[in-house]
Amino acid sequence: MKDDEIKKHELKYQDLDHVDKGIVEKSVKGGYSRRDILKLMVATGVTMAAAENMLYSGNVAIAATPKKGGSVRMANTIHGPDDQTDPMLFTSGADYGRGRAVYNGLVQHANDLSPQPELATSFEPNSDATEWTFKLRKGVEWHDGTKFTADDVVWSMNRHLGEDSTSVIKSVLATVKEWKKLGSHEVKAIMHSPNSDLPTLLGMFQNKVIKDGTTGDWIGTGPFTMESFEPGVKSVHKRNENYWREGANLDACVITAITDPVARVNALVAGDIQIMSNVDPKSFRQVESAEGVTLLSIPAASQLGICILKNTKPGENDDFVKGMQYIQDRERVVKRILKGKGSLGNDTPISASHGADWCSELAQREFDPDKAKFHFKKSGYSGADLFVAPVTAGIEDICLLAQANCAKIGFKLNLKKVPNDGYWGAVWMKEPLNVVSWNMRPTANSQLALQFGPGSSWNDTFWNNDRMGELLTLSLAEIDPAKRHAHFCEMQTLIHEGSGMVIPAFSNINDGIANNVMNMPTVPLGQCGAMEWPEFIWLA
Amino acid sequence: MMKQMVLQRIAIGFVTLMVVSVIVFVMTSWLPGDVASIILGQAATPETLAALRAQLGTDQPLIYQYFGWLSNMATGDLGISKAGGATISSLIESRIGNTMVMAGLVALISIPISISLGLWAAMHPGTWLDRLVTFCTLSLISVPEFFIATILVLILAVELHWLPSTAYLTGDESFLELLKAVAMPLITLVIVVSAQMIRMTRAGILNVMSSPYIEMAILKGVPRRRIILRHAFFNAIGPIVNVIALNLAYLVSGVVIVETIFAYPGMAKLMIDAVQTRDLPLVQATAMIFCAVYVVLIILADVASILSNPRLRQPK
Repeated sequence: MKDDEIKKHELKYQDLDHVDKGIVEKSVKGGYSRRDILKLMVATGVTMAAAENMLYSGNVAIAATPKKGGSVRMANTIHGPDDQTDPMLFTSGADYGRGRAVYNGLVQHANDLSPQPELATSFEPNSDATEWTFKLRKGVEWHDGTKFTADDVVWSMNRHLGEDSTSVIKSVLATVKEWKKLGSHEVKAIMHSPNSDLPTLLGMFQNKVIKDGTTGDWIGTGPFTMESFEPGVKSVHKRNENYWREGANLDACVITAITDPVARVNALVAGDIQIMSNVDPKSFRQVESAEGVTLLSIPAASQLGICILKNTKPGENDDFVKGMQYIQDRERVVKRILKGKGSLGNDTPISASHGADWCSELAQREFDPDKAKFHFKKSGYSGADLFVAPVTAGIEDICLLAQANCAKIGFKLNLKKVPNDGYWGAVWMKEPLNVVSWNMRPTANSQLALQFGPGSSWNDTFWNNDRMGELLTLSLAEIDPAKRHAHFCEMQTLIHEGSGMVIPAFSNINDGIANNVMNMPTVPLGQCGAMEWPEFIWLA
Repeated sequence: MMKQMVLQRIAIGFVTLMVVSVIVFVMTSWLPGDVASIILGQAATPETLAALRAQLGTDQPLIYQYFGWLSNMATGDLGISKAGGATISSLIESRIGNTMVMAGLVALISIPISISLGLWAAMHPGTWLDRLVTFCTLSLISVPEFFIATILVLILAVELHWLPSTAYLTGDESFLELLKAVAMPLITLVIVVSAQMIRMTRAGILNVMSSPYIEMAILKGVPRRRIILRHAFFNAIGPIVNVIALNLAYLVSGVVIVETIFAYPGMAKLMIDAVQTRDLPLVQATAMIFCAVYVVLIILADVASILSNPRLRQPK
């Protein structure tokens, strides 16, 4: 490989976590020479080429502390007249980005998904995690100049609860009974049942704190104010000079969408936008080879899946499900369809990105046409209809690959192509075999409870297992790490063996940024560092 | 007589609008999935769905919704976007301005170009320049517009960096900045629209050229240029104006692909977004506006044909 090729393929300064960036920056400012830093990096296991490259790509960044000023235009994949102003109804990347710019949560996610204090300065559970007390930050002001108090938090959080709530994450917060004000800057969450993960859940996009009595209306406490908002066109934001933290580095940002994937890439390469959400695998080469832009690929547990309903034919037959699982050529899916920017799936929704809760000891299911043939034969089925919509990049190709491999062992897998439009209402959870994509949820427990909790509204394979329900509750209350891991491992084994879920692969989160965009967060919960970027990035 | 005919056209136009309103209303309600399930998407449960439907009023009977909408529309109240909660008139207001700017600029450039090129080609039929014009226009008509758009982006934006690849409007740009921002979709649309109009102009005039009174003029020794400009052009104006009217209506309502590729916030894109989000009031409002634009432009084209051709003023 030539030097410049190495530079393109190896780890770059931008790829580092903000903590590691801090270490590198500190050592430069601390008077270490370039040589010392290279030595240090090589000593810690970084290859020489990568260390050189890290300095090369980070030299501008290292030369200066974050620079103030400039403006960024960011393009999402979709927007429309349904762009929301109310955080509780947020569903798209454009909504999330605007929410992140204008509002704050009680808690926010670090790159490793640990909950960090935001409007809450501290959060403590009682001994059995049935109550959580949050101390709130003092001296925070809303964009209209009024003071932020506990009343705002109680109003915002209670909107997600109760029968009549239209909150998108109502079921995620179902363990919360109510929020109570304890003092002017202290609140308490009272739970129906123990939940040791509550702070992490509060970092979700929809859990933004809005002003008491409002539905958002773009009056927030966040790093940017809303200058103008045109649904389906764009929003323009200016830096909030009165922000309670250090404040955003950018003077302004614009959040919009370019729905056509090719046009979006062209706009990035032409320099019309600085951040683009979701680079399609077909455009990886174009972005990687273009001057002045970088493809950011963050490992995440974004599932590409096939749901086989367990409460009807043919999925109620375990052998049929096994056949579908063994016919997935997982290595090829990751290598060819996802172009290497993904990881192997093991028919459970938990991946290495979930950290300690991932069951690494569970054996990887391999591509095995003989076993697939055996199980299909035993099931008595010689064919099936699979409903496919392009719900996420690569899913159609995965189904085509499975179809071709099925044909080789004499099994007829018919692909019924349907449009994305209306898919979630008309096909998903209705047709016996359908495709699904799930963004990663912030905790393994919330992910498992959503998809595999007995009786959960999104149990999309209709697999109801009582032991699973028990383990979900047990693991939430468990504080001992070893026991907690054992619980999670048992759940993943149950799903791997018994559910109707086929997950051949997880996709990375792939975004494009201009090379002068620094300190891009890498929270793996959604595109563009789960939209944490507005406050933290700066332009070199 | 003239007045009566115009009034008659307007009356027919009005009836057309009413029929369209019923069709639009019924068709939109047949779309699979309602606005509540679209808003909630993958996150819909029966309870959240029912709560949201009650909030939006989509649990009422259809006929009740139709008359409510029609009477509101008559008073100029287009309603509230069900998906986002903004008023529809505010959503449409900004988009219709953008669409009119684009349609106006395209018309301003393409109509003179096409008519003069069409006339010029008709004056010199069979020459190599006429063949070149015919070849180019036929090729451009055959190529889909997104292809033209993408090629232009790759050359002018990605390679040469002359023009922005998307039509980004800040709302307070000068006229020159505006021209630069909209240059790419403008060029694309001028190419697409002109090709058709050039061919129609050329064909219309050549058609008239074979009629007896032109032969008479030729025999009298009138120069060809004068024959075309004085005699043939005014007789061919009917079909030409109709093609222009249809193209203008297309520019207002049908340029969704160009608007998508250049992220230009116009009316056509608004309607597609509205369909995708099952925002029925918005779909209906945009459909009615498009229908009204067609009706008005066709009436204008009819009147122009009547003015240019006295025979049409006599009832048959």
